[in-house]
Amino acid sequence: MDELLAVLGYNVRSSDMVDVAQKLEQLEMVMGNAQEDGISHLSSGTVHYNPSDLSGWVQSMLTELNPPSSAFASSSQQTPIDDPLLAPSESSTITTLDFSGSRQQSEHQSRIYNDNSDYDLSAIPGVAVYRRPDQQGDGEKSSKRMKTASSSSSSSTQQVQENGLASVAESTRPVVVVDSQETGVRLVHTLMACADAVQQDNMKLADALVKHIGLLAASQAGAMRKVATYFAEALARRIYRIYPQDSLESSYSDILQMHFYEACPYLKFAHFTANQAILEAFAGANRVHVIDFGLKQGMQWPALMQALALRPGGPPSFRLTGIGPPQPDNTDALQQVGWKLAQLAETIGVEFEFRGFVANSLADLEPSMLQIRPPEVEAVAVNSVLELHRLLARPGAIEKVLSSIKAMKPKIVTVVEQEASHNGPVFLDRFTEALHYYSNLFDSLEGCGVSPPSSQDLMMSEIYLGRQICNVVACEGAERVERHETLSQWRSRMGSAGFDPVHLGSNAFKQASMLLALFAGGDGYRVEENNGCLMLGWHTRPLIATSAWQLNSNFNPTSTSASTSAHSQ
Amino acid sequence: MAGSNEVNLSESKRVVPLNTWILISNFKLAYNLLRRPDGTFNRHLAEFLDRKVPANANPVEGVFSFDVIIDRSTSLLSRIYRPATGEEALPSIMELEKPVTGDIVPVILFFHGGSFAHSSANSAIYDTLCRRLVGICKAVVVSVNYRRAPENPYPCAYDDGWAALKWVNSRPWLKSEEDSKVHIYMVGDSSGGNIVHNVALKAVESGIEVLGNILLNPMFGGQERTESEKRLDGKYFVTIQDRDWYWRAFLPEGEDRDHAACNPFGPNGKSLVGMKFPKSLVVVAGLDLVQDWQLAYVEGLKKAGQEVKHLYLDKATIGFYLLPNNDHFYTVMDEISNFVSSNYVEDDKFGEIGNGDKCKNWLVLKALIGGWSFGWY
Repeated sequence: MDELLAVLGYNVRSSDMVDVAQKLEQLEMVMGNAQEDGISHLSSGTVHYNPSDLSGWVQSMLTELNPPSSAFASSSQQTPIDDPLLAPSESSTITTLDFSGSRQQSEHQSRIYNDNSDYDLSAIPGVAVYRRPDQQGDGEKSSKRMKTASSSSSSSTQQVQENGLASVAESTRPVVVVDSQETGVRLVHTLMACADAVQQDNMKLADALVKHIGLLAASQAGAMRKVATYFAEALARRIYRIYPQDSLESSYSDILQMHFYEACPYLKFAHFTANQAILEAFAGANRVHVIDFGLKQGMQWPALMQALALRPGGPPSFRLTGIGPPQPDNTDALQQVGWKLAQLAETIGVEFEFRGFVANSLADLEPSMLQIRPPEVEAVAVNSVLELHRLLARPGAIEKVLSSIKAMKPKIVTVVEQEASHNGPVFLDRFTEALHYYSNLFDSLEGCGVSPPSSQDLMMSEIYLGRQICNVVACEGAERVERHETLSQWRSRMGSAGFDPVHLGSNAFKQASMLLALFAGGDGYRVEENNGCLMLGWHTRPLIATSAWQLNSNFNPTSTSASTSAHSQ
Repeated sequence: MAGSNEVNLSESKRVVPLNTWILISNFKLAYNLLRRPDGTFNRHLAEFLDRKVPANANPVEGVFSFDVIIDRSTSLLSRIYRPATGEEALPSIMELEKPVTGDIVPVILFFHGGSFAHSSANSAIYDTLCRRLVGICKAVVVSVNYRRAPENPYPCAYDDGWAALKWVNSRPWLKSEEDSKVHIYMVGDSSGGNIVHNVALKAVESGIEVLGNILLNPMFGGQERTESEKRLDGKYFVTIQDRDWYWRAFLPEGEDRDHAACNPFGPNGKSLVGMKFPKSLVVVAGLDLVQDWQLAYVEGLKKAGQEVKHLYLDKATIGFYLLPNNDHFYTVMDEISNFVSSNYVEDDKFGEIGNGDKCKNWLVLKALIGGWSFGWY
């Protein structure tokens, strides 16, 4: 790896430097000769992936401008992109936005309608990736798949690079200071001192400090006061050993999460980006099966179903398996959600099947219970939004679950997790990390902007986050389930378990960015691309990350190469 | 047309190291995609392609960083870089804004380049450069994430720069112990250099003292096509056409390149005669096509009786300061270090500097003496 370029974010092997330079020269010449619509299509039509892989990026642009029949084609592209008219079309997009008046709308040539149903849907029928089965080959799909294939064929080296980066990245502490007022600083100081006292097991001092925090917090304003209050409460619980009961009804926590969903864009981003990856993976499939590791109120699925319904050639038949915790009052919450989704499916004309599974832990699941159909028959997507980190509380659990996922032979696995390091061995470090993280999160909730969240959504969101804070700070052992880890740590884990990354591209990035414009404090929210994954953050601090995975081709017995598996339907 | 392209490509390849060539060519081609002929900018793709790095409160090679929101209404953020004192292995939140220690601690207000449209304070190339400046100048560096064109044209970038200057000047923790004042220098490359000049004008008007301006390949222009623009058009990564595009994106509608923001000593420029303008160090790359405008800027300052040091780097192209793999890089870092340190000795008899063995000599000397304070002149 060229070290100087690596520091600047570009991974180029030293042995590839001359080749990359040559490709850049070629690209410049081709761009110079291309007509203006060629350039503009490269800009607005082509989906770009992983700019850190400079060689791959330049190559993919060369390929877009030059079908392999020309002399400039690289030998690594085998599938002909037969129809240049189809090549630039964007993949089907799903979003919950209203684009009226936006420039982008005319580019997409799409119609938008507002659906005022419970799920607040607005779908944009984009140009879908799926083509009629009677058409031979699928040019643009294959060009997109090519991108995935070439990135996975180089994934072994990328994996090494990513793992190498992982050990460096783990010690990164991104900090955005949101409150420099003296009172704020003193408050933080006291919180830290208290946490330190707890760590030293000096409970007398800790007790005194906790009371002091209460006084300081009262004179503070805004996000900092709320954050400090939650952290102080959590510290108090830890000191006095009054541990919070996690047995609070899951329906209550689902409701809290729904308000959080409404108040800020993090969960919407999660659902949106995961759905985008799932939609692309389902291209060409007639039967699809989504396994949702945390169904809750099923808020992720209407948008996906809508997008599937609008696929040219018609929707696939859609099966959803929703997993959830047991309900104390024995109501079948899962079935209720399934029923609502079934009603939606009927109105939009999608063949729908639902199964709910109650499990205390994902580790209790056996793949055989889920009645998975073979990959040739049905494409499977496994979706986990903020669920995997909980498994880290019990030894062996995550390994079991990852192994189960592999047994489900998924076409794609989407993982969304908090971008935070809340699972380190040292309490004080966890405390500090969490303080930074939740300070930023609460600050984003305050946001000034066009449409601030309703006060009820705001309040419930704060309670939702407060419970997480409590768990991170006051609990230990199997009780401490909010064991958030960073994207680089998850990358390591997924890679070791036999998964290859599936990169999210510039189309998902763009749509996600546009999604943010609708939210209060829109300016503060930022989407970032990170080696094929997408992260949403507040200002420069990423707070949530979406990654997508497929089985390493060695593990997939139905395909002979990564590119073949993309065409398995 | 294709033929002359080939000539151009191999020319630029001869004057810069391979990794620099790859880096800057990559930017050039990516940027070509982002600028639309109708004057709009593909911001989403730009943000997708830009390689960014997070702030890091853990010291890396003796420098740690954190981001601060300076103005919520405009989402104005700055990244602060500080030397790790070594007392605390991992600075905690309180350490971040701990008062600086030292009689004189220079504070560098940094404006990244990108022709007013590209890059951010958290772009990897600029994060790296700022980290270097901390070590080189023993300074605290504040990198301003100013609003960019075409969405936010003139005067947004200047307003943000001015807001950042006021903020820095009013931080108690940035005051040098000697005189309880903040010792401010402003540094900028390309559009950042242009911002430095314009913020300095504001500073003078408002009585905030700036101790020095450092402009690296500053972005200036004018209606006239100068000799250097015609001679070097398209030869070293930059074209007249792209320069025109960026000025159209930044300048107010209907204005031409003789607007004072673009051409400070042109027909609409302001006179600096009699002003207590900060001393300036202007670095000009010999293969930069806008050098005639940069030289005109230096002349303009001189004619107005202002103190200016002009550093002309014969064979340097744009972006030479992004990678530490060439002589010019070391020459300039050395100059900057001298300029900012309090024992800076004035020398206005400048012209070209021979760069030949400078890099080698510099490295040998650094190894022997182990310090930055050795002056070359």
